[in-house]
Amino acid sequence: MRFFQNKKPTKKEKEDQKLPIHPTLTENIDKMKQLFSYDINKDFSMRTLTIQQDQKKGCLFYYGSIVDGAMINEHIIKPLFENKGDSIKNIVTIENVEETTEFKTVIQNINSGKAMLFVDGEGIAYAMDVAKFEHRNVAKSENESVIKGPQDAFTESLNVNLSLIRKQLHSKHLINEGIQIGEKSVSEVNILYVKDLVNDDILNNIKERINDINADTVRNLEVLEQYLEERPYSLIPTMLYTEKPDRAASYLEDGFIVLLMDSSSACLIVPVTFWSFFHSPEDRYLRFLYGNASRIIRLCCFFLTSLVSATFVAITNFHSEMIPPDLLLAITASRERVPFPLIIEILLMELAFEIIREAGLRIPNPLGPTIGIVGALILGQAAVEANIISPIIVIVVALSGLSSFALSEVNINFTVRLMRFIFIIAGGFFGMLGLTGAFLLFFMYTASVRSFGVPFFSPMSPHFISSNDTIFRSTIQKEKYRPDYIKPKDIQKKG
Amino acid sequence: MKKYWLLMIFILFLTGCYDRIELEQQAYVIIIGVDKTDREGIYEYTFQIANPEVGTSANGGSSEPATEIVSVEGGDILSATNTANAFVAKRMTLDHTKAIVASEELARSDDFMRVIQVATRSPQLRRTIQLIVSKERASEFVNNFEPLIEKRPHKFYQFLLQSGQEIGFVPDATLHRFFQITEGDADLFLGIYTTTILEEVKKNHDGVEDDYIAGEVPQQGGTSTQFMGSAVFKEGKMIDTLTGEETRITYMLDPTVDMENIMATIKDPLDPNFLISYQYRQKKKPKISVDYHPDKPTKINVDVYFVLEVVAIPSLIPYPSDTEKAEKLQQAVIDTLTEKTDELIKKSQTEYESDPFYWSLYVRSAFKDIPEYEKADWHKKIYPNAEIDVHFHVQALEFGKTIKDFDLRNVRD
Repeated sequence: MRFFQNKKPTKKEKEDQKLPIHPTLTENIDKMKQLFSYDINKDFSMRTLTIQQDQKKGCLFYYGSIVDGAMINEHIIKPLFENKGDSIKNIVTIENVEETTEFKTVIQNINSGKAMLFVDGEGIAYAMDVAKFEHRNVAKSENESVIKGPQDAFTESLNVNLSLIRKQLHSKHLINEGIQIGEKSVSEVNILYVKDLVNDDILNNIKERINDINADTVRNLEVLEQYLEERPYSLIPTMLYTEKPDRAASYLEDGFIVLLMDSSSACLIVPVTFWSFFHSPEDRYLRFLYGNASRIIRLCCFFLTSLVSATFVAITNFHSEMIPPDLLLAITASRERVPFPLIIEILLMELAFEIIREAGLRIPNPLGPTIGIVGALILGQAAVEANIISPIIVIVVALSGLSSFALSEVNINFTVRLMRFIFIIAGGFFGMLGLTGAFLLFFMYTASVRSFGVPFFSPMSPHFISSNDTIFRSTIQKEKYRPDYIKPKDIQKKG
Repeated sequence: MKKYWLLMIFILFLTGCYDRIELEQQAYVIIIGVDKTDREGIYEYTFQIANPEVGTSANGGSSEPATEIVSVEGGDILSATNTANAFVAKRMTLDHTKAIVASEELARSDDFMRVIQVATRSPQLRRTIQLIVSKERASEFVNNFEPLIEKRPHKFYQFLLQSGQEIGFVPDATLHRFFQITEGDADLFLGIYTTTILEEVKKNHDGVEDDYIAGEVPQQGGTSTQFMGSAVFKEGKMIDTLTGEETRITYMLDPTVDMENIMATIKDPLDPNFLISYQYRQKKKPKISVDYHPDKPTKINVDVYFVLEVVAIPSLIPYPSDTEKAEKLQQAVIDTLTEKTDELIKKSQTEYESDPFYWSLYVRSAFKDIPEYEKADWHKKIYPNAEIDVHFHVQALEFGKTIKDFDLRNVRD
């Protein structure tokens, strides 16, 4: 049964890590070689050198793959050979040099891309920041595209992401706090907030929850999101995942908290409400009427995508008297030769649509066009001509599928897509009665959800002081308050 | 506990979908015809069923007829639908029925209420179903349905009834109104009068376009189904017919119904050889005030406001530019309307002893409770003895697009 046993670090390993740095260099070199398996680990590098200043021996350790080689040459090795100064810190020309006396910190520093310098006769090691992790350049936002508004998106680099946010929000109160998580692979979660706005209870709650995470590794934000949320089985998301720095900045301004990690090209915003998922950053960049017009359309899409197929099933199967005679006869005529019950027809097509979407997402780019041909031809035209599906079903399913794309936020998109199937089945069993019941239950459940203590439909219900940016937004001059449901330290924005 | 939950959910699903029915499993009855038979309490029901495949893009049904018409005998409409299912493949549904056609023979008999009362019970029959009385047997009327263009029956009846009601030739005769008026035990209900049997052209007229009842309208070409005039029902039994013109007057005086506009003609007041056509539009509901007196005749005062738009002046008399002449014209229209209205009111007071205008609504507020109102008796006491004054008021007089007509002398010099 060893297989299932929790493999804890052996006592020796732990002791090794706690060991202080030895004054003699050779001891330290041996220790380091052992810790980092120097003989088999190909990219772990060491470089011994003699320091010009006092002719002492020194040794530099780093991972060749995550440091900037030129920088080591230019700013560490060269100065050590040539420059003079009273201490190491004054010789090397690196921005950031820290001293440490413990192997534990040495390990951490090397893992995060620093070069460690051991000097003979000194019981300390110098950590010099020469990290250069590879990452993409800042690119155009692909998943949350806007026409009017900043186009840049986060990339997989914490520093770049921070710079993108700081570019939008120039404030000395914007704090970036780091918390380390993970036992085996330590990574850092960066908590961003505006110090004179953020609610301390929420902030402490988040910090606590991050500290409580008990895992060997938390590789990125997407995993962190799942560690942090309260109801992992719920259909309702409680954190907003966005790749747009302008969006993050606008939430920071209102007193929300943003989580960043080095390895993710997005940020998490907490706490959230339903409206955060419903809104698009473009709503605020468009003029008052244009922005609200697009909100109306999105609201229609929300209801259409979750309810249109279910309503169609409910009405045609149970309430045929509600359909105007022309439409009724048209639907009837188109169904005369279809072998399946209507609900099966709808479920088949919805399933087909989901298949196209899933396959289209996973298909390698060069094969992309196949999806279009297969999807449109086979599932649309051919299925109708073969009398497997009636043409009206294609319209209904296409409408509900198309509408689902208007809610582009990936979490809420899944919510409505999955709810749709529940609604269809409810409508198929009890007609409008079942559908109304299912929708009511869903609505009641959603209203009861809280994200970090904030009710999901606030500030609409329960009511809170805010700039009333819910279904519609008001003109920018009238938005005087920050949302009270997160209890910011300063509620007044202006005026 | 979990087991019980599962059981509950299964029960829930079992009870669901028990009344689920696919659209294509139903036959949609558009028109129901009702006739008397030789036997007491047994009627002949004729159902006209729409064929969904006609007139749609779905292929395959184009060679089939647009409707299937079946007749069965039965005690009431609903059991007759069941009987009909012996030879109609799909389940008969009355959800989309547009009208019930009763033969005049049945409508004039005491049995009519027995036949129609089923509509109050079944949710299948809508209260908006129109009540139609056909001169011939209803089965004959339904079977004579042979539209040339609007092949789909529901469209045909919908359009024909709608246009007839908009211009006032036929009354708005919903089942709901029938029950409302009949159970209110006051006023007259007007059903739609129709026939498919055309008569010889009646040589009555002074060219007036609406003084007909169904079957009398001289027509050439088209279908033989005519909707014109109304069947007067008193206490759930048909007693008489009204012409299209009289039906229009009921629209003018009855605030509970809506009418779009009416084209009508009068004799040119200054040159009786010609006719003048005008459009009558009622933008405001008529104002009705009833002054109830228990011992002496009740006074009913009706003010009708309308817009008069003159559309044709074949005599070329310059009415638009001459205020004096225009006033004469206006007066002539008012006089004609008043005369015809008085005629109808007199007929209703003496012959029918009730009104087709739903005016009893306005006397009801004079009573403390229903028994007192019923005791006062609208049919026998109040209405037949009432003093009724109808005043027509022209809100605006319009002359269409041109102000000045051309001068015939200048044209023909």
